[in-house]
Amino acid sequence: MNEATAARPSSEGEAFEPRIVAFVCNWCTYTGADLAGTSRIQMAPNVRIVRLPCTGRIDPLFVVKAFERGADGVIVSGCHPGDCHYTAGNYHARRRFAVFRETLSFLGIDLDRLTFSWVSASEGRKWSEIVNETTARVRELGPFTSYRDLVDEG
Amino acid sequence: MKPEKLYLTEAGLAKLTHDLREAGARVIAPVLATESSSNPVADYREIEDAGRIALGGPLPRLSLKEFFLPPTEALLSWRQVKGDISLDQPSGDYPRTVVVGAFPCDAAALPVLDKVMGWDYRDDPWFGRRKATTIISRACAVKDSSCFCPAVGLSPDSLKGADILLVPVDDSGNNHLVEVLTPAGEELVEAHRDVFESPPDEGKADELRKAALDRASENLDIEPGAIKSWLESNFEHDVWADIADRCHGCGACASVCPTCHCFDIIDEPEGIDRGTRRRNWDTCQASLFTLHGSGHNPRPEQSARYRQRVMHKFAIYPKRFEEILCTGCGRCSRACAAGMDLPEVLRTLDQLASSSEKQTEASSTGGVG
Amino acid sequence: MRELQELSSKLLSEGDVSVVIGYEEGPRGVRPAFIRTPEETNRLVFDHRAVQNLAVYLSPRRAHLRKRGRPAVVIKGCDARAVAGLLRESQISRDDVVLIGVRCGGVYRDPESNGPLSEENVADRCTGCDLREPGHVDHLVGELPSEPPATDRRKSRIAGIEAMSPEERFDFWSSELERCIRCHACREVCPMCVCERCVCEKTDPSWVESSPHLRGALAWQITHALHLAGRCSDCGECERACPAGIPLSLIKGKVNQVVEDRFDYRAGDDPDVPSPLGDFRLEDDQEFIK
Repeated sequence: MNEATAARPSSEGEAFEPRIVAFVCNWCTYTGADLAGTSRIQMAPNVRIVRLPCTGRIDPLFVVKAFERGADGVIVSGCHPGDCHYTAGNYHARRRFAVFRETLSFLGIDLDRLTFSWVSASEGRKWSEIVNETTARVRELGPFTSYRDLVDEG
Repeated sequence: MKPEKLYLTEAGLAKLTHDLREAGARVIAPVLATESSSNPVADYREIEDAGRIALGGPLPRLSLKEFFLPPTEALLSWRQVKGDISLDQPSGDYPRTVVVGAFPCDAAALPVLDKVMGWDYRDDPWFGRRKATTIISRACAVKDSSCFCPAVGLSPDSLKGADILLVPVDDSGNNHLVEVLTPAGEELVEAHRDVFESPPDEGKADELRKAALDRASENLDIEPGAIKSWLESNFEHDVWADIADRCHGCGACASVCPTCHCFDIIDEPEGIDRGTRRRNWDTCQASLFTLHGSGHNPRPEQSARYRQRVMHKFAIYPKRFEEILCTGCGRCSRACAAGMDLPEVLRTLDQLASSSEKQTEASSTGGVG
Repeated sequence: MRELQELSSKLLSEGDVSVVIGYEEGPRGVRPAFIRTPEETNRLVFDHRAVQNLAVYLSPRRAHLRKRGRPAVVIKGCDARAVAGLLRESQISRDDVVLIGVRCGGVYRDPESNGPLSEENVADRCTGCDLREPGHVDHLVGELPSEPPATDRRKSRIAGIEAMSPEERFDFWSSELERCIRCHACREVCPMCVCERCVCEKTDPSWVESSPHLRGALAWQITHALHLAGRCSDCGECERACPAGIPLSLIKGKVNQVVEDRFDYRAGDDPDVPSPLGDFRLEDDQEFIK
């Protein structure tokens, strides 16, 4: 069993605390998250941030890998349309993730485990809301064991 | 040993299946995978009652191989805590298994593979599963034009690899003559004596066996020995480029083959402190199969890879183990998206072999004259 | 048929091409043919059994075929979509190949079928075919046949899966992908799988586990579907090649449907129309983004 799961009892009365991975762009959402922190905004401590140069650099496989390795939920966030540091990275990402999430859904992944957002460098408040909402939603859904346990040692 | 002959009715088979499961055995049999009647497909699967067995149904998509050499299996897993690394290995206990209604071409592959699995080292998972399994074959009525077991020295009622052979005695195909072939077969019969009847009603068994053999023999007539010699002395030959033109190199043929047994061993980490070493099916048809770390690939083209498949089956394996690495099941032809056809290739090689023999004869006669 | 044979014979004898890749009778229905001399062109056939997408033989991964000289390839309208894809992505250049387009009235799902084309045996992609006459070809042969029979088989299966709950869908695909043995036949027959080294075979880092357990199989099918988004020519060869009978064209069909609904794009035979995932509009829908 995965240590990550072992540390989070869900059946013995203790509340389940989801582990959430956020893939964010360096220029907007990461800075926004930083602002949330320096502004001392309270938010759920369940999110681990992975910083990338741009949402255009976020390969859908990152999300798949996160689920494989024990994430219960994933956030993908970057600059608002028009704000991309590289001009158009987020527009490409928007198309890519539109197809990705519908494909995942078709294969049976509950889309409530996945949040996409635009969070700018000044939107610390919005980031905390995204984090809190996602955490609450995924906590409701419970641990995503069905995915990481697809390897059956029969 | 002259095989003991018994009789098994439809009800007897149902009871046998039930009793085997009661006794804790896993029962594997060909079952229909779809309800579609126009194009039925079957798989070997664990069954709970004999009603699901597709006796006389289509040849299962994958061979029995998957129950002895699974597509993937964990060889060990590791875990690191600070400086200590602990290893976990599978227990080596394999479930008691009985295969009911194995196709003779699938059963025959098992003793062929025993040779390589016990050759330079003993493959414990393979022999563990072999030992835990009893095979009840059922004489086959020949599926279609791609079947060619007689051409490789077998037959639709081959005993090879079987502990017990069932031969249908009537057109219903539900009642069988039982031939007990090995000590493991005897043991099974002894433990379930009440489901078998004696003396057997042989009915049309002989007639059905002969008809099946005749049908299968019509499909391909080759001389495997001559093909072996030709392959050994004609490694570089233009014929491979033409044969392999259409081949995608997808390896579907190797996946469905009862005798292809190549595997890859890979470490699959789960994060930084643990992981699993797995053995997965691999195929010589993939370009990565022979790709060296240096970037050099000794089989850079599909023609070389297809040649390897044929060479391994009809020359290399026979040379080392005195067994043809092919049971004539025809799955490779049926599975091929590009219409590659092993019987056709063998026919071509057989013709090349016989014409080169004639040439040799002609030149040696010429030498004398 | 005669027209196709004569044209092929002419191309070969005039030395325009060194091989004509078309269709011939094989031991199990019609199969790809490689015709290298004018005398052999009488082997060429074309009928409802000409299922295979021969554009795959143009892929840069078939370097050994290229070494044997310039080919002419027989293509149906649906195959022309894959050729357009290869041209669009500069995987081949137009001069590398002579395209012999055939007017097509539909093909079976299975090259071993026979009898008239019907709702039951027709390939899914033939429904509503807008490319019975392929464009952007060098030669065009045959008479324009009537429209193939339509089937909503795939559409209704996709709708059935969409109607399930996420758990049911997950279970459905688990039961299908459980049979996946990771032979990657689906990739090898795919004309649009042009990578020299597939991401699912890279081990450092390993993004897609190469083992045929469900987790690896699911990651691979997600990867294949997404890498084909907006590129898939919907030839259905992945599903036909699968030795385990996994209904892969449901996944590809679904992705194609998403691409069409969202980006108003359907794979066509014109290489100059950009691929939707290599492109964007400022006003693209973003209802799923908070």
